[in-house]
Amino acid sequence: MEKKTDKNSYTIIFAIIMVIIVGGLLALTASSLKGKITANKEIEKKQNILYAMGINENDASNAKFITKDKVAVAFTKYIKKQLIIQGDDVKADDKAYLIDIKKEQAAIKNANYKRRFPLFLGKKEGKISYIVPIRGKGLWDAIWGFVSMDKNMVVQGVYFDHKGETAGLGANINQRFFMDDFIGEHLLDKNNKFKGIAVSKSNNDPKNNDKLDNEVDAIAGSTITGDGLAAMIYSELAPYASYFIALKN
Amino acid sequence: MALLNKKDAALIKDPLFDNNPITIQVLGICSALAITAQLEASIVMTFSVIFVLGVGNVVISLMRNIIPSKIRIIVQLIVVATLVIIVDLVLKAFAYELSKTLSVFIGLIITNCIIMGRFEAFALANGPWRSFLDGIGNALGYGVILIIVGFFRELLGTGDLLGLGQKLLGHPLLGNPIPGELSGLYKYGYENNGFMLLAPMALIVLGIVIWVQRSRNTSLIESH
Amino acid sequence: MELLELFFKSIFIENMVFATFLGMCSYLAVSKKVSTAVGLGVAVIFVLFITVPLNWLLDQYILQPGALRWLDEEYADYDLSFLSFILFIATIATMVQLVEIVVEKFSPSLYNSLGVFLPLIAVNCAILGGSLFMQSREIPTLTEATVYGLGSGTGFFLAILAIAAIREKIRYSNVPPALRGLGITFIITGLMAIGFMSFGGMLTGGKDGGSKQETISKVAIEKIKEEVKQID
Repeated sequence: MEKKTDKNSYTIIFAIIMVIIVGGLLALTASSLKGKITANKEIEKKQNILYAMGINENDASNAKFITKDKVAVAFTKYIKKQLIIQGDDVKADDKAYLIDIKKEQAAIKNANYKRRFPLFLGKKEGKISYIVPIRGKGLWDAIWGFVSMDKNMVVQGVYFDHKGETAGLGANINQRFFMDDFIGEHLLDKNNKFKGIAVSKSNNDPKNNDKLDNEVDAIAGSTITGDGLAAMIYSELAPYASYFIALKN
Repeated sequence: MALLNKKDAALIKDPLFDNNPITIQVLGICSALAITAQLEASIVMTFSVIFVLGVGNVVISLMRNIIPSKIRIIVQLIVVATLVIIVDLVLKAFAYELSKTLSVFIGLIITNCIIMGRFEAFALANGPWRSFLDGIGNALGYGVILIIVGFFRELLGTGDLLGLGQKLLGHPLLGNPIPGELSGLYKYGYENNGFMLLAPMALIVLGIVIWVQRSRNTSLIESH
Repeated sequence: MELLELFFKSIFIENMVFATFLGMCSYLAVSKKVSTAVGLGVAVIFVLFITVPLNWLLDQYILQPGALRWLDEEYADYDLSFLSFILFIATIATMVQLVEIVVEKFSPSLYNSLGVFLPLIAVNCAILGGSLFMQSREIPTLTEATVYGLGSGTGFFLAILAIAAIREKIRYSNVPPALRGLGITFIITGLMAIGFMSFGGMLTGGKDGGSKQETISKVAIEKIKEEVKQID
């Protein structure tokens, strides 16, 4: 006799029940936890922005965010304004940090769409810093981050993160030894043209003493992540460069 | 062992050495290469696989009599994927920091053929308790290799080990050693071998692990 | 031209086996003989060729945040990306089983040579990897997704063919007994991967800077200056 689990009808019914159970289970979990997950993500974004500004609890060698409970207070204290730039329009919006860069990048496929560019104005110890979110592609998946600059477009601090870069290699972009290298690095070249920051394997400057060369030292063994990171800095900060160049003239 | 009879104990012990999932069964290689540049990642991955394989094996074993054989592969994959995604969502909601560390591994866990391999080879034909032990055993065997490879790659590649680099080799706390500030072994001309961090070296280290293992237990040697 | 570049890039520079180390298990397990390796390689090309574009459609019209907009504006906020894994896997497993059934019916001889590999493919992480890369690299069009699938498959085919040929020859060499079989294969693969790394330098000039790039307009610059003045 044929086993009952080999019958076509049984297979189909089983498949249908399976889909319903799995789909239901996933949808239930996803929707019931959605609020908490979004809240966590918002806190993380604020932590990232503050980190780039230099508001963090770094110890001797590790990158540490300020703790969750302090985030809300610190964010309102240090981030004075959040701007959304869209075409000729500039408006302040307290939710600008929630703009999804991925969606904005995708939306320009539509020729009529003017991309929204968020810009956060921070103020620490009397100095104004401009913080910009960036997003690009690494070796495996998305990489993103925040760059904090002064009015000369000199980097004041960065925070990079990644979705799935190789542990111990590309994943090190969120380690201090890499991020700290960017501090003080110039984004404009000597003629005040936007140049970005290259991640270089051969600049003979591992200590990164030369801050004017538009280069930082690469992480060994993560060429593609490094190239992706440099490309991300270049293409995502270029739109803002016109503002800083205008300040210079 | 009072808790486990001899046959059950073998389920845990065999995969650790003589029937190791990576070096003998040739399962789960991709992830072994992808994450072993760092010891910490290897350890995290080991625990994740212990959890997923243990629980997954039990679930599949409980379902073994009702799964239609024609679509069993889809069913198995969906069970793992659902399990992993739910755990991920729960972690994201309640332990966000932890989930950030683990999220990198999710894709690697679902596509890890060690999991499918054990479902097919064991859980479909055995009861839940034995399947559970088999799952734990194989995950441990997998972890042993991961940790050995991760240990050598991180130590030789970066001079660091779980952040203890300073104590072990005198590796500076931040990044690459800086000329003029050398300490420990670096003072005597020791250099990190950055090559160890590249994925091809994972293959070669694995090859050496296999070499050592088969030299010790000659019954494992393949004819060709 | 771009398609050709993508094709060669996915074969050599981003070779599934040597650069991303996906599909290792079947690569190692089924590479003892050239003939079987060819069978598996062809099957992988075929399955990637079908599933990558299919999953691209799924991703564009169901999974991406806002992808459901084509149904109705009110669905625009839905984000089903947490279902990616499940749907991709389901597509792959279904396609594999469909292909198996079709091949078995219409060409028993092909089934005999290829059939045994088909179930193996469903668990080959190169296949799921292909779809996930397609998603994470945001490949923009269906044609490119198809070319990408084809290229990745060809890359896997080349890799498994090469190692199988080497393994056939190495039988006549005096390999230390404990290294025979798996051990030496690992080491050879490692050396081959080092060789493949040299392709990595081939396409480095490709910055995305060429695409249309908006910059902040003069009007906006003045407005920002005003805003900055207020907090200074």
